[in-house]
Amino acid sequence: MRATFQAELDRVRDQLVTMTGQVELAMSRATTALLDADYTLADWVIDTDREIDTVKTEIDDACFQLLARQQPVATDLRVIVTALSIAADLERMGDLGAHVAKVAKMRFPESAVPPELRATVLEMAEAAQAVVAKTGSVIAGQDIERAKELEADDDIVDRLHKDLFRILIAETWVYGVEPAIDMTLLGRYYERFADHGVRVARQVVYVVTGVMPTRPPAEWNDEQG
Amino acid sequence: MDQRTSTQSQPTTQPIRLETGTAARTEQPTAGSAWSKDTGAGAAPDRSATRHDVVFQARDVSVHYGSAPALVNVSLAIRQREITAFIGPSGCGKSTFLRCFNRTNDLIPSARITGQIDYHHQNLYAKDVDAVEVRRRIGMVFQKPNPFPKSIYDNLTFGPKVNRMKVDFDEVVETSLRRAALWDEVKGKLKQNAYSLSGGQQQRLCIARALTVDPEVILMDEPCSALDPIATAHIEDLMRELEHDYTIIIVTHNMQQAARVSDRTAFFTAEVESENDDRRFGRLVEIGDTSMIFSNPNDRRTEDYISGRFG
Repeated sequence: MRATFQAELDRVRDQLVTMTGQVELAMSRATTALLDADYTLADWVIDTDREIDTVKTEIDDACFQLLARQQPVATDLRVIVTALSIAADLERMGDLGAHVAKVAKMRFPESAVPPELRATVLEMAEAAQAVVAKTGSVIAGQDIERAKELEADDDIVDRLHKDLFRILIAETWVYGVEPAIDMTLLGRYYERFADHGVRVARQVVYVVTGVMPTRPPAEWNDEQG
Repeated sequence: MDQRTSTQSQPTTQPIRLETGTAARTEQPTAGSAWSKDTGAGAAPDRSATRHDVVFQARDVSVHYGSAPALVNVSLAIRQREITAFIGPSGCGKSTFLRCFNRTNDLIPSARITGQIDYHHQNLYAKDVDAVEVRRRIGMVFQKPNPFPKSIYDNLTFGPKVNRMKVDFDEVVETSLRRAALWDEVKGKLKQNAYSLSGGQQQRLCIARALTVDPEVILMDEPCSALDPIATAHIEDLMRELEHDYTIIIVTHNMQQAARVSDRTAFFTAEVESENDDRRFGRLVEIGDTSMIFSNPNDRRTEDYISGRFG
């Protein structure tokens, strides 16, 4: 029963998976554009962000229609309400990719990242990338075990974010204020990006179990950074 | 729509319902059973109890019509001054179960009830319990409005007259109509035939009529299924008002109605008796806070039913 409704719910989920893929690719290319000072690639990321915004609007509209017309309850209701929230997180992740791309463009033809920070940035980008890659499969498979792994992946990003700060405020920093601001923002973008990925995964846990996982209180302190 | 205001602004309408009866009850230590009819008129149980006091406790209740089971092994509690909704597919026994609470199944010759239902810790089916008194305290409203073919006024004085209640009829009529959120619409035409009212008004008249004999519990068997959405909204608002003073049990096919108006929801299902016999009987699947049942039910069958996947 309710075949049409189920098909529409499936379609919303498919769109979220697609959107996650777009976000993943955008951030991956933004990192490349940043490290390689690739202006064209940075432009591509910024264009893609607009497409991601469009998908977000489509998902919102579809969810709104389903709420208005199908009176969803229980799991169906959780699927739709969380889809709205997940789409908002993914849309924000797309924005953060575009922010990275804008930093790359701003410093062109130089690279915004000083040589001794390339490794840290790359590591952070890869950890953030790992979060979003898993996020996609968490949504597609409603995989709550994998969703829980994401918390640990996010901890890696948080640790790197702190490492980065330590370098920027050390006596040995020789690049001056402007690159320090760039690096502070970039570190923040990757850290937020991974955090949104974790939020998405938590929403999936909520869909499946009906209970929203809570973050261990100690970690709230980390978020201040 | 705001019945809260209208009832609160009429504190003088309160007394007729309880005072005399409650006093009479406590002053009659010789009454062997609270059910003996002569203590009845105007009497009502203490309503000062806290919100979660239990009115009915059903234990392993089964109902058979002849040899066929209609409902098997239902145990649940009905809390005071809450609205409990019974939902479930056709044939799940929810209406049968509802009728057990005021013993209207007694009127069906083939019906046989086993298990126990306690009403304020007293066995509802004990030999010395007067079924007529039970039905006074536990009123009922049906699917189709069924006013008597009499005037609005006479519809409302009928119960008090039959029960020989020593009350001011004009006051009973006004109070019950106000409580049923119907007074403003009919106060100028109380002598008109009840059939001149719209369907929704007739149903509110039936609710008002149920209130005239001062019940504690109101059973509602799909009270809105014959009404349009606006009349339905009136009844639902009214139920929320009445909940402050009465315990309500509602059987409804409209799951959104259960979700909107009830505090707790019980989900029943119809099970096939055996592989060779497709006769069905009802079972309780789960009962819980309505907010839980409609957001995260415990049982897969509840989820499937409320989300329209079966039934």
